Amino acid sequence: MKTGTTTTRVLGIFALMITAWVVVSAFFLTPADVVQGDSVRIMYAHVPTAWIAYLAFVTTAVASGLSLARKHRTLGFDRVAGASAEVGVLFMAMTLITGSLWGRLTWGTFWQWDPRLTTTLFLFVTYVGYLAIRRVDVDPVRRARRSSVIALLAVLEIPLVHFSVVLWRSLHQEASVLNTDGDVRLDDLMLFTLFSGVVAFTLIFVWLVVHRQRLAAMSDVERLVGLDVAITARRAESTVGGGGR
Amino acid sequence: MDLTPRSTPEPRSTSRRLLPILVAVLATVSGLVIVVMFLTSSIDYYCNVDEVGVRDGCDDTRRVRVQGSVDEGSLQMRAGNTSFVMSFNGVSLPVDYEGEPGGVFQECIPVVAHGRIVDGVLMATRIEVKHSNEYEAENADRLEEAEKSACS
Repeated sequence: MKTGTTTTRVLGIFALMITAWVVVSAFFLTPADVVQGDSVRIMYAHVPTAWIAYLAFVTTAVASGLSLARKHRTLGFDRVAGASAEVGVLFMAMTLITGSLWGRLTWGTFWQWDPRLTTTLFLFVTYVGYLAIRRVDVDPVRRARRSSVIALLAVLEIPLVHFSVVLWRSLHQEASVLNTDGDVRLDDLMLFTLFSGVVAFTLIFVWLVVHRQRLAAMSDVERLVGLDVAITARRAESTVGGGGR
Repeated sequence: MDLTPRSTPEPRSTSRRLLPILVAVLATVSGLVIVVMFLTSSIDYYCNVDEVGVRDGCDDTRRVRVQGSVDEGSLQMRAGNTSFVMSFNGVSLPVDYEGEPGGVFQECIPVVAHGRIVDGVLMATRIEVKHSNEYEAENADRLEEAEKSACS
């Protein structure tokens, strides 16, 4: 069995092409920043990974809400929720790593317990916990119900993370694009490359979630149809045995 | 037809069952540690220079984190020692730091200095650069422009 289709293959190719453009533009075409120099290039990975992690966790919450609301299709939405959270944790880890490297180059330190960094780490740990809870329960229906409640609570942390730099004094700079006054504080090519990075990572996110949830579906189906397979196998055996008598 | 299972499915091993529980507990403990670290290092990461000795939590009798911009022409680096004056809202504070600050430290840039105030001088043990959220291309015209408007 495969998890890929023509659509996902096309999606994957698009994701690769745009990612290649982002790499070329980020390293060779965009200018260095007047203050930060070349270290600003980390932004083209750091910011999109953070946004996609937010997107992933919101997707998890929406799928969890639907999973709780529509009882007859619980497992399908729950699988999407789980797959999206896994990919979100991956992107959030990338955000923390790239942010730490960028911090060392600009602030002069890898880590500080400032509001943005701390709330981001807390969000990451929350979803690691969410994924662990998903694996505690072997019963898929009970797992779906429990993890949905956690996902709906955990998503409330995202506004806190995003607005932490406005609510409190932070070492982390305020948002350059999604800020409260609506001004975009980036040069044109820098902004375009950043936007391309968001598109590329969004496609990668969709590609990964589609494959991961299909894999989870196969795993569930394998468990559920196990009996049917056994019955068919036994029937075949008995037919062969009967024919011999 | 005999549908009795030929073999019972293998139960999940103890380690496989315990691992998610262990990770969940670890995540909970980590979450609590993060919250404690956040709260003990104060919610507002720093005090501004003009708040030292004025605002609650910015007492000049204890270790503080102070933010201000490095005054133009005040930066001196001698024998591994860095001294400068930082200002905010018209109030200035001299800073002395043993070492060379990392990151993009320079004059006219906002910094956060950690340390104690002794005889009116902040004896810093750590300097962090707090850069703005503006990103502009590095080129000759912009550099001249930036230098002209520096600290204005």
